[in-house]
Amino acid sequence: MNTPSSRLVIDEYSEDQLDMLQEIVNIAMGQAASSLAQVLDVFIELSIPRIKLVSAEEVVDVVQDIIGLDEHVTAIRQAFYNELNGESIIFFDSNGCNDLAGLMGYENNPQGETRRELLIDVANILIGACLNGIAAQLKNELSFSPPTIIAENDRVDHILSPDKLAWSHALLMEVNFTLESSGFKSHLVIMLAEDAIKSLGESLSQFIEAY
Amino acid sequence: MIIKYPVNDEILSLFSYIIDSVDIGIFVVNRANEIIIWNKFMAVHSGVSTKQAVGFNLFESFPELPEKWLKRKIENVFILKNFSFTSWEQRPYLFNFSHHRPITGNIDCMRQNCTFIPVKGSSDDIDYVCITLFDVTDTSIYEESLKSLTLALTDANAKDGLTKIFNRRYLETELEKEFERSKRYKTDYSVIMMDIDYFKKINDTHGHLGGDRVLCTIAQELQSRLRKTDIVGRYGGEEFLAILPETPCANAVILADRLRQHVMNTPIKLDGADINITVSIGVAGHSNHYQNYDEVLSNADKALYESKNSGRNRVTTHIDNPAD
Repeated sequence: MNTPSSRLVIDEYSEDQLDMLQEIVNIAMGQAASSLAQVLDVFIELSIPRIKLVSAEEVVDVVQDIIGLDEHVTAIRQAFYNELNGESIIFFDSNGCNDLAGLMGYENNPQGETRRELLIDVANILIGACLNGIAAQLKNELSFSPPTIIAENDRVDHILSPDKLAWSHALLMEVNFTLESSGFKSHLVIMLAEDAIKSLGESLSQFIEAY
Repeated sequence: MIIKYPVNDEILSLFSYIIDSVDIGIFVVNRANEIIIWNKFMAVHSGVSTKQAVGFNLFESFPELPEKWLKRKIENVFILKNFSFTSWEQRPYLFNFSHHRPITGNIDCMRQNCTFIPVKGSSDDIDYVCITLFDVTDTSIYEESLKSLTLALTDANAKDGLTKIFNRRYLETELEKEFERSKRYKTDYSVIMMDIDYFKKINDTHGHLGGDRVLCTIAQELQSRLRKTDIVGRYGGEEFLAILPETPCANAVILADRLRQHVMNTPIKLDGADINITVSIGVAGHSNHYQNYDEVLSNADKALYESKNSGRNRVTTHIDNPAD
């Protein structure tokens, strides 16, 4: 999973735009790691983000390859909007993020709804740290919808089904988080819908000109 | 997050009028957790007026708040400059407020969704956190009843009404899933098809109620004798089907024969008399060259017929021959 960035040819974007996007996302993840360290008092390692343009039919397969089909995961979804709009989904493995409970102001080893709240809180922080970093570099400000749990201990193919997706293509950015000292591991998938791919392209062009 | 309006007195009084009139709790705290804004909604529901609240520490004014957690939550908004949320589903409320449905609600206090918004001050830094509190009592009551209804419906949709084990529709979806899974991950699985011998005779002798009792007993046996990961259901009249994930055919045959012997050796009490039941079984395993999920099923069915035709009370295995 920690392979260097691999990506498909994205027709809509020029090489320059793609390089710039990869660079922006890399920087954003670096910043995300440091602000997470500030909040959690531990260093969460972020993988090099992978960027891919995928068709709706491929989404499930791509996400399955990232996570592994037999993994039972808990998935939390959060939408973002303003200049960029799309959805992000974070996948926690069955251990969830209990290791982070104390760091988030919860009692150790929370159960039931408290455990869910912790998952949502951590998801919100991880997603926010990554997306705000990207948006800030593009001089954008994002708003977020409340995160919700879309699946608990379920398989990926049950969570995402291509026939239910409203768009034909999506720009998918993937990054994973690990905490060396414990078993904590999670995957973040950010999906930009078609119209956002276009507006991001424009932002990237402006960015290149100003660079 | 920055309001780009001409900030004159008229606009300011308009803002404060709106903040006080909306049906949403709005309050703002600074880095020291001192209350800066406390709108009318908050004042009315908490009993602490704007005058009593503004300038005071949030946690000193409301000692019942979960301080450790909430402080952390607000602090994170300052550090990460990021939105944060709470939902009634996990945390029913932040403040213990009464609600508008004291009689029809069947709920102790107002359910709340909260959003924590980072707010920039005069500098470019986050100086305040604005918290909006939505009354979602109605939604929560509606959603709770919907949730229990959905659960009941999902269950009813997948289960056989008489025997309470899975029904044919559910079995077929699971079989298809297992087929897809095996195609992708080259896993093995088997199916057991089981039919009660001379069931018509039981019905004729003991009536349909007696027959139903036998069906229920066999269903329970099947369920409890197989493993937790196996999927057991009633496929048709007196026909049962079990899907055995990660199980090669040879192991399924052993399980099937144990089942057969158990049924044979365990008489069922009907009308005060012990009656002996036997079952015929067909077993088939999945094979990589199958094109369709129901091939394994029809093979088990063929094997079951073989058991029936060669004297009943036996297990027959379908021998897979790719040339068929």
